[in-house]
Amino acid sequence: MPSAIEVRGLSKQFGPVRAVDDLTFEVAQGRVTGFLGPNGSGKTTTLRMLLGLVSVTGGSATFGGRRYVELDHPVRHVGAALEATSFHPTRRAEDHLRSVALASGIPRSRVAETLELVGLTEVARRRVGKFSLGMRQRLQLATALLGDPEILILDEPANGLDPQGIQWLRTFIRGQAALGHAVLVSSHLLSEMEETVDDVVIISQGRLVLQTTLGELAGRTGTTTGMRIRTPEVARLTGLLDAVPAGWRQTGPDTVVVDGASPEWFGMFAAQNQIVLHELVQEKGSLEDVFLELTQGFDAAHPMGAAGGQSAPFQMPEAGA
Amino acid sequence: MIAVVRSELLKIRTTAVPWVLAGVAIVIEGLLILTIFLGREQRGSGYDVPHTTQQLRNLLGSGFQGYLLALLLGVLVVTTEFRHKTVTTSFLVTPRRSRFVAGKLLSAAILGVLLAVLMLVIALVAGGLTLNARGGSFSDLVRQIPAVVPGFILVFVLFAILGVGVGSILTNQVAAIIVSLGWFVILQGILVALVNSAYKWVPTGAADAASNLTRNTGNGPHFDLFNWWQGALLMLGYGLGFALIGSLLLSRRDIT
Repeated sequence: MPSAIEVRGLSKQFGPVRAVDDLTFEVAQGRVTGFLGPNGSGKTTTLRMLLGLVSVTGGSATFGGRRYVELDHPVRHVGAALEATSFHPTRRAEDHLRSVALASGIPRSRVAETLELVGLTEVARRRVGKFSLGMRQRLQLATALLGDPEILILDEPANGLDPQGIQWLRTFIRGQAALGHAVLVSSHLLSEMEETVDDVVIISQGRLVLQTTLGELAGRTGTTTGMRIRTPEVARLTGLLDAVPAGWRQTGPDTVVVDGASPEWFGMFAAQNQIVLHELVQEKGSLEDVFLELTQGFDAAHPMGAAGGQSAPFQMPEAGA
Repeated sequence: MIAVVRSELLKIRTTAVPWVLAGVAIVIEGLLILTIFLGREQRGSGYDVPHTTQQLRNLLGSGFQGYLLALLLGVLVVTTEFRHKTVTTSFLVTPRRSRFVAGKLLSAAILGVLLAVLMLVIALVAGGLTLNARGGSFSDLVRQIPAVVPGFILVFVLFAILGVGVGSILTNQVAAIIVSLGWFVILQGILVALVNSAYKWVPTGAADAASNLTRNTGNGPHFDLFNWWQGALLMLGYGLGFALIGSLLLSRRDIT
């Protein structure tokens, strides 16, 4: 299967900050690729480099071998939905799309078609300044779809959508892939993308952590299983575990997670040591845990100073939720 | 390029910019005509209406200073995109930044023509009707069209182009407006007061020359001027020069 997008050694330096560092990945035709990483990991900068909005410090990003600026009428090949705010407030939704269509030689009939597709027909003549965030997101998608492109690039498209909107977006993205189009969709939440993507590209602090298929990633969830134990005797339990020795981490005042332990083993261990248990739960790691572990582990392995504090929202994983 | 210009014109007319400027132009032109006739009545000379060639040309070209509106138009056509961040979409559609600036130049030039024609038509119709009502000769006014109209339109176009040039360098709307008006309302006057011979080199002097208006009416500032075509080329040089610099700056600009 030929690649729709090829990114080779892509880098971006913003003053002293290496926002994107030697990033290499591919996006396949007919598949949905999730572009995942914590906030501030360089996702948006990367997407904007692909689209020629941000200049490239090193490396290349090409669509079928050609850079975005080299494409003839690029919006007919690559549709992009980047921000929900970039509309002129007094311009009507229809006129916004018409201006894009006019400049790119797209027939005027496509304007009504795409408005219909994203469910904005009713408000076609309304000024965009009066649109809600969700409606702006839909208009962004309509803009991206206007040229019937074979490649779609969506930056956090789920932001501002209500649950129905997110469901609609999933169906829409899967539909695009079914048509043979390539979709690159960024998100800082893997859970949001779990049901949508085929492949994942995970980045952290501007570097590639992993490119793989969702199936392969799911296979890794086994590595994070363990037992979650609630006990009034935390100190005694952890002391005994250290003597075994077994890996553990305390996740609450009376809660300990024992890594890699089976219920049979721990049940015997608790009985032998006569520990009072209030709760004993087998934990299976979720994809989100794998994602967090990957991005956190990567941060630790490559401390980058400049973007410090970004792992703050990623607390100790509370698995099994 | 035609497609890009058509798209630009659609974008511009779906903002308030051209409509507000047209409104201002209509009000200003109306006031100017009023002033011309009121002023003459109060003076109580033998003739209470414009009748000499110079007076008639002054009446028809009374909106000449409206070239500042054309300048503003050019500035706004570019800076509005940055103010509302619509430039992201524009650059996705037209990723070559020089092409983007070229589209702005052409569409601003077209709008400059429209703005000039608007003011001329008001001068001809409102001015002509008043003239007729006061016993002046409407046909004498019409006879001044060839001498006034081409230069008038040319100058509006040149100023619209200059505005795009300034706007593509100073993409911050407020900064661009302050700098342009600051130059034309204050700084340029100070410069010319200090160095009289600089007048023919500054945009207003070049525009004066290009319009042939002040020379033809004979009552403009008595400074040295270039030929009309030299003045026009100088103005075009300023406009395209700035646009080129702006285009190069934009090509290096990260849109984040």
